Order: sequence, then structure tokens, then C-alpha cells
Amino acid sequence: MTQNDAGDSPLALRTDHLGRRYGRVWGLRDCTLEVPAGAIVGLVGPNGAGKTTLLEMIIGLLQPTEGQLSVFGETLHAPMTARLARVGYVAQDHPLYRDFSVADMFHLGRSMNPSWDQELAQARMEALDIPLKRKVKALSGGQRAQVSLSMALAKRAPLLVLDEPVSSLDPVARLEFMREVMATAAESGLTVLIASHVVSELERFCDWLIVLTGGQVQLAGSADDLIAEHQVLTVPRATLDADLPGFPVHRTDSDRHSTVLVRTEQGRPVAREHPGWQADPVGFEQLIMAYLQRPSRSAAKDDTAQAAARPGPSTKAVSR
Amino acid sequence: MIWVSWRQHRGQAISCLAVLAALAVYAILLGTSMRTAFGHDALTACLAHSQGTVCPAAVHAFTDRFGSEVNIAFWSVTLIVPGLIGVLVGGSLIARELEYGTWRLAWSQTVPRARWLAVKLALVTGGLIVLGAAMTAVITWYRAPMDRLTGHLEHNIFDFEGLVLTAYILCAFGFAVLAGLLLRRSIPAMVAAFIPWLAIRLVIEFVFRDHFLAPLTATVNCTQETCGEGIGFVPQATGRIGDLVLSIQGNVVTYQPADRFWTFQFIEAGIFVALTAAALGATIWLLHRRAA
Repeated sequence: MTQNDAGDSPLALRTDHLGRRYGRVWGLRDCTLEVPAGAIVGLVGPNGAGKTTLLEMIIGLLQPTEGQLSVFGETLHAPMTARLARVGYVAQDHPLYRDFSVADMFHLGRSMNPSWDQELAQARMEALDIPLKRKVKALSGGQRAQVSLSMALAKRAPLLVLDEPVSSLDPVARLEFMREVMATAAESGLTVLIASHVVSELERFCDWLIVLTGGQVQLAGSADDLIAEHQVLTVPRATLDADLPGFPVHRTDSDRHSTVLVRTEQGRPVAREHPGWQADPVGFEQLIMAYLQRPSRSAAKDDTAQAAARPGPSTKAVSR
Repeated sequence: MIWVSWRQHRGQAISCLAVLAALAVYAILLGTSMRTAFGHDALTACLAHSQGTVCPAAVHAFTDRFGSEVNIAFWSVTLIVPGLIGVLVGGSLIARELEYGTWRLAWSQTVPRARWLAVKLALVTGGLIVLGAAMTAVITWYRAPMDRLTGHLEHNIFDFEGLVLTAYILCAFGFAVLAGLLLRRSIPAMVAAFIPWLAIRLVIEFVFRDHFLAPLTATVNCTQETCGEGIGFVPQATGRIGDLVLSIQGNVVTYQPADRFWTFQFIEAGIFVALTAAALGATIWLLHRRAA
């Protein structure tokens, strides 16, 4: 059970009604999450959903407009240095200084991080056959990603945040990169937060899932629990949403039948008593796509009324 | 952090040293011949007992020979080079990080960005002060013989002695750092910083400088027509080397006395240093505001 996971192990990440406004537009609003230590979290959402806003607030690059945030116990009120020390970060497109050598990049890491692990960084480069003397601009995209990852890991932070880590890489480099991440995470018990819109990548690696659209959390929880809580029902087209067992997340109507993804109370068997109804388990990708396609609440509008009006699965997911 | 700053600005430091070296070579070559000529014409002795009035031919010969080179060569240098150095160094300091996305790397290490910026600004500002002081020293040494004839209150002379040259560099640097944060692009930031810098620089020089302190007046027994140019750079109206004559109306001459050089240097450098402090202060505040 998710509840127990979150309760027994220390929390890696906790947010409480976290929000960030840019001028008059909310980039992210009302974000309440709990992620247990050791989870491999997939953060999914279309471009502009607020993924980077959330990540930057977690890392300490961006100050929230409202709400609370704590990363391994370090809250927003903790000294900046303590907050920064909790997170290793691989930014999108793996930014490095082009005219630095790999050794220079590590020197930078060493002089800017008190707990820097030079041996780890160098050993990784050796294993990957990347010469320390080579300039960053002479590296391939995959090698640059590996240098970025090595820097984030050598920081020895308990939370590793990856923002679109593989979207700029070719398939082989993608595989190598994710394999490295997973091996290290398993070895050292890291909590990993991966933002991506490549859903298929996440399915293989993530055991925890957060879906963001329009600056709102749509779905959050352990992947196994979420899969168990959802079912795909095929029902006669005339069936009303109100008659369905559970909350209809996404509905597709064809000529005679409707396919509905419903969220049910966990463990409660979906009504098999209805003749002509068919219930199937939901796939990981199908689940995410259903939530991504849901019309999102406009984050800029008054959200109390809307939150009350909406029997939101996200509310249920995050309130546990 | 100190190593990081050094590594990132190493190239700029070397370029600045190259500029300084080129200036020094030029100054030594021309300055040596100027010193030789100055001694050869026995100008030292002449100046000592008569402000140059008893040896007009020698004064004229010297100023004719070196005056144009001194003014033309250094006018262009002093007008734009401090600004160029300042904006080239300052324009990339933050904007380059924003342009290439490396700010996400730089500011997510275990060093808060406020400290990152403070260390960088302190080191680079320090480097620019050293550079400005060295350039000033080279130019002052080189100009020394000519200054004994001209004083150093005049435009084109005042601008590269004392404190102001360093202050000009710092001001352009400060503007460019701020512009880099606002525009997020190095080249536009450099342009956007250079234009107001040049405008302020010219307005202060040509509109305000002559009136930093109320000018002195004196009554002379000559009029604008009969006072003439004076000998060398000695204004006939006041008879003292280095006095800056602003106007002669009838027989009343308005001028700034030569001994106000350092006062004026402090005032003008103070203005530019205040502008620098304002720009850098705004940068620190803006950067801090995004993430506490």
C-alpha cells in the first residue's frame, strides 16, 4: 500500500499546495505530493505543463509563490546551501561549459560542492572511455549526457533530478544513459525524479508516477497502485457516467460501445453483474495518455470552486 | 568558486594583458623619444623659471612635433577602449550562462547563486581595477613631458590620468552585467550597455565637468581678441600652465585653476563608481529575487 510506503520510509519529497506564478499566469498551482525515499519517479506532462517549474523549485533554482516544499527534510526556510546539497541535477540538454575539459568540469564540481566524490566521477569516465583531457565541445551528445550525470552523482545528493535526460540522445545513448541511472540508483539507494514526455521510457524504469497538465497535478502515486485502481470498461454507449462504478477518467464513444477508463476504490471488484460489460486491466502508457488527454482545470482561475466541483482523482491520489 | 571564476575569465584576463602590453610598447617607444626631445630642447630649465614664456620657439617646436600624435592617438583610445573592455567582460558574465543554459549547472551546485555572483563580481572587478590602474600608470608616464606644458585639466588629457579611466571601465562593466541579466544575450547586452555608457561619458565630459566647482574669474588687461592663444598651452589670460580657460568676456576671464585636477578626478570618478554600484546592486537584487 502506498500509504504505508510513504509512512514507513522517510519522505524524499513533500510539497504542500505549492504554486508558482509568472506575472498573472500560474506555471504550477496547488501541487501537493509525497514521494517516499528510494522511489524512481516519472514526472509526465506535455510541454508547458509545469514540469520544469516544479523541478526548479525542488532544486532551489526558483522560489515558490505559495505553499511549502521539503526535500529530505530541508524546507524552504533551510539555508540555501543545505537545500542545494540535497539535489543532484541534470538539466535538459546537459549544459556544460564548452571550452572546459572534462577534468575542468570536475574541478568545478569539486570547488563548488563540499561532498564532491572525485573518485566516483573519474571512475565513471574511465568505465565509459571518456578521456578527462577532452574538451566538452569535442564530446558526443551521449558523452556530454554522461559527464552531466557523473557531475550530478558525484555531488553525493540523495535526490537525483533529471529533466528530459534522454530526449536529445539517440536510442543507444538513451539506453546506456538510463541503464547507468538505474544501476547507480539501485546501488546507492538514490531517489530519482525523471521528467519526460517519452512515456515508453518511463514505463520500464519508474515505480512512481506524477502526471501534470496545465499546471495541475492530475495523478500521483505508486505505479502498481495506480494500475490496480484503474480499469478499462467497455460498456453499451447508452450507459451514463453516473452508473459507472468509480470515476470516469476518460471516455471514448464508438457506434455502439463506449470505452471508459474508470478509477475505482482499490480492491473493489468492478461490477461484473452487468451483462454486456467488459472489464480489462489498464496499461501504463494507456493510463498516462488518458490523464494527459483530460481537459485540465485552468490554473489561473479560482480553483476552490472547481476543486470542489470536481471529484478529482488527483485529490484522492495526493491526500493519502 | 575562486578557481571557477578564474577558469571562466582566464581568456579575458589574457586578452586584457595583451591590450595592456600593446599600449605599453607604444607608450615606451613614443614616450622615450618625447623625453629625449624634452631634455634636448632644454624645456625643463625654461619651464622652471618662466612657465615657458622665455622659450616660445622651443615650446612650439615640441608641441608641434608631439601634440597631434598625443591627442589623436589617445583620443580614440580613451574614448571607446575603456567602454569596450568593460562591456566585453561584463556582457558575458551572466548573459553567457543564460544563453547556453549553463546557469542551471552553475546555480544548482552547492553554492547559492548570490555567493556565486558575489565572488565573480569581486574578482572580476578587482581585475579591472588593476587593469585600469596599470593603463593609467603607463599613459601618465608616457604623457609626463607633455603634461608639463599642458597641465592635465583639458579634455583628452583629464580622461586618461588619475582615477577616471578605471572608473569608466568599471561603469561599462556594471552596465553590461545588468544588461546581460535583463536581455539574456551577450552581444545585445554589450551594445545596450555601451550606448548609454558613451552617452553619459560624453555628457559629463562636455556639459558637466567644466562646472563641477564654480569656475574662478579674474580681470585681465586684454580682451578676447588681444589675449591670443598664449605660448604653448599657457593661457595668456591667466599666465599659469594648466589653467583651463572657459571663456573670456571683455576683460573678465572665467577659468578652472590647474590645482583642481584631483578634486575633479574624485568627482567624476565618484559619479561613475556610483553608477557602477547602482548597476551591480540592481543585478544582485534581481538575481536574488528569483530564488531566495
